[in-house]
Amino acid sequence: MIKKVGVIGAGTMGQGIAEMLAAKGLDVVVIERTEERLAYGLQMIEISLDKQIEKWALTGAEKKLILSRIHPARSYDELAVCELVIETISEDLDAKKDVFRKLDGICGPQTILASNTSTLSLTELASETSRPDRVIGVHFIYPVSKIDLVEIVRGLKTSDKTFNETKHFVEETIHKKGVMVFESPGFVTTRLICLLINEALHVLEEGVASAEDIDSAMRIGYSFQHGPFEMCDRFGLDSVLAALDRMFREYGELKYRPSIVLKKMVRAGHLGVKTGEGFFKYDKDGDRIQ
Amino acid sequence: MKVLVINAGSSSLKYQLYNMTDESVLASGRVERIGMDSSIVTHEPANQPEVRHVSEILDHITAVKRVLDMLTHHDYGVMSTVEEIEAVGHRVVHGGEVFKSSVLVSPEVKLEIRKLFDLAPLHNPAHMMGINAVEANMPGVPQAVVFDTAFHQTMPKTSYLYPIPTVLYRRHKIRRYGFHGTSHAYVSDKAARVLNKPLQSLKMITCHIGNGASCAAILNGESYDTSMGMTPLEGLMMGTRSGDIDPAIVPFVMNKEELTLNEVNSMLNKHSGMLAVSGISSDMREVTEAMNEGDAKAQLAFDMYVYRLKKYIGAYAAAMNGLDVLVFTAGVGENSTALRKAVCDGITFMGVELDDSLNEVRSKEVREISKPSSKVKVLVVPTNEELLIARDTYKLVKEWMDNRAEAAEGK
Repeated sequence: MIKKVGVIGAGTMGQGIAEMLAAKGLDVVVIERTEERLAYGLQMIEISLDKQIEKWALTGAEKKLILSRIHPARSYDELAVCELVIETISEDLDAKKDVFRKLDGICGPQTILASNTSTLSLTELASETSRPDRVIGVHFIYPVSKIDLVEIVRGLKTSDKTFNETKHFVEETIHKKGVMVFESPGFVTTRLICLLINEALHVLEEGVASAEDIDSAMRIGYSFQHGPFEMCDRFGLDSVLAALDRMFREYGELKYRPSIVLKKMVRAGHLGVKTGEGFFKYDKDGDRIQ
Repeated sequence: MKVLVINAGSSSLKYQLYNMTDESVLASGRVERIGMDSSIVTHEPANQPEVRHVSEILDHITAVKRVLDMLTHHDYGVMSTVEEIEAVGHRVVHGGEVFKSSVLVSPEVKLEIRKLFDLAPLHNPAHMMGINAVEANMPGVPQAVVFDTAFHQTMPKTSYLYPIPTVLYRRHKIRRYGFHGTSHAYVSDKAARVLNKPLQSLKMITCHIGNGASCAAILNGESYDTSMGMTPLEGLMMGTRSGDIDPAIVPFVMNKEELTLNEVNSMLNKHSGMLAVSGISSDMREVTEAMNEGDAKAQLAFDMYVYRLKKYIGAYAAAMNGLDVLVFTAGVGENSTALRKAVCDGITFMGVELDDSLNEVRSKEVREISKPSSKVKVLVVPTNEELLIARDTYKLVKEWMDNRAEAAEGK
C-alpha cells in the first residue's frame, strides 16, 4: 500500500500533485532546489486551497488537515520513507537524469520512481538507475485536482508489477482513470493538444479569425472547457513551445514545428497565466480579465 | 451475553461493549486516524479513567484487533478473553429497499450492502470494512447489521416517492429513504413506554435534532413520513446543511458561480445551514449565546431554524390528522431549552402547552415537559442508538442460537 509519496519540484505541476495527494489522505514529502522556491510553492498551495474554500469545495478544517499532510523536505534523504516518488521538475533531460540518480541512491529498492514528464524518454531516465523495472511515468494533467486522468507510461524495462501497482494507486487510491501508454514523445494527451494549439496559431497567423473567436468556436462548438489559446495560456506558452520543439525533433515532421507567433511571445516573456499575460490577460488569481 | 457494537467510518471506528443481561455498558471507545502512523485509540472502561494509545493502525483489521486487545488488557480490560463476546452488531447507514429490519450478516447480506455503495458512497464501504475486520479477527462470531434507513421502510408510497419521472425510481432507486431510523425507533418506543400507552395508539412526531436533524411522523407505531430524503440533505435546516431549498437553485448557482458537482455538493452539505446564516458557527450553543448577546445574524439563524422545524411539525400533524406526542432528542433536542421553548410556544393552537420550569430542567433522563393539561404531550427522550443496535443484535443472535440448539436436539 502506498501511503507516503515524495514530490520533487514545487512548480505548477508539483503544487497540484502534492495538493491533490494530500487531499486524498496521503502524506506528501515535497522538495525543491531552494528554500525560497519551496516556500513559494507551499504558499501557492495554500492560495489554491483558499480559492477552493471560496468556492465552497472545502472547509477551513479540511484545509488545515490537507496542509498538515504536506511535509516540506530540506534534503533528499527525507524521501527515503516514501513508497512512491514523483518527479515534476521542468522538462530538462539532464536535470531529470540527475534527480533519478539521486533518488536511486536514497530510496529503498521497492520504491517506485515516477516522472511526470510529458515528452522525455522514460527509458532514458530509467537507465540512470539500478532499477529500471521500478521506473514509470505518471503524467498528470493541469489542473491536477480537477482532471481525473493520468497517463501511465511504460518505459522499455518497466515491469508488469510496477505498472500494476501504479495503476492500482491511480485508480483505487487517488480515484483517477489511468490509461496505459507506451513511451512515445507527447504520449496521447500532449501530442494531440499541442497539435491543436499549434494549428490554432496557424489559423490566427493566417488572419482567418481572432484569438477570441477561435476560442469561442472551439469552446462552444465542441464543448471544450477552454479554447486552444486560453488552454495554452494556462499550460504556459513556454511549456507548449518546449513540448512542440521536442516532438518536432523526435518525429521530424513539419506539423510539429512550433508557430512563429508562439516563439515570439515566449521571447517577449508573455508566458500566459503565470506572467499575467499570454493571448489573454489574467489577474493574480489566474482569473481572466475581460 | 456480551455484545460488541461497532460504528465503522472510513478512518475511524467507535465501539461499545454491552453486557446484555442488564444492558450495561462495560466499556466504550474509539479509534481515530485509521490508515496513518499515529492512530489514536481512546478506551473508556466503565467507572475507570479513559486510556489513550497512539500507534500505527493502517487498516480496520488492525483497528479491531487493537480494540479487542484493549477490552482484554490486564490493566484496563473488562473481560479475560475475546471469546466472551458472543455477538457483534454494526451500524450501517444505508439499507436501501432490501433491508426492512436488522439482519444477521451472511454472504448474501454483504453482497446487498455492497450493491448499496452507490447510494451511500461515504458510509457503506467503511461499514463493510468494519464487518470484514471483525470477521478476520473473530471468525465464527455471529454479526448483525442495523440500518439507519430500515425503520422508515414502512412509509407508504405517497411519502417516499418524489414527483419526478418514475423511470428514475425504477432505474436508480431514487426515492425517500430517511435516516436516523434507529434513533426515531428507539425514542418513539421509549416515549410510549413512559406514557404507559401502546405505541400503536399514538400519533407521534419525533424530532432528532443534532448536527444533522430530521423529523419523523409516527402513525400506528410505524414511520409514516420523515424529513430526510434520498440523502441526509433534505428536510430541516441543520448545522451545516441547507435542508429544503428550491431544487432549481442548484443548476442556477452552478451556472452563475461556475461550480462543479463536487463544489455545489460541498456547498449545500458543509457551508450552509446555521453556519451560513449566522456566520458564526454550526453549533446551536454558540449561536444561542451570540443571539443572547444581541447578534442579529445569530438571531436570524435561530429563528429560521425554529421556523422550519415548526413547519415540519405542522405538516406532519396534518399528514396524520392529529398529534398526541411530540418528542425531542439528540444533542440539540435534548439540551437546547431555548429551541424547545421557541418551537412549542409557536404551536399552542394545536394543543401544545409547554411547562417552562420543566423545560428548564437539565437531565439525562426521559422527561415530560408539557403541562398536565396539554393535549399534546411533549417529551425529551435521550437517544441511545448503540443500545438499540445491541438489543437487535442480541435478539437476532439469540434466535439463531436457539434455532441451532433445537436443530441439534432434533437430530
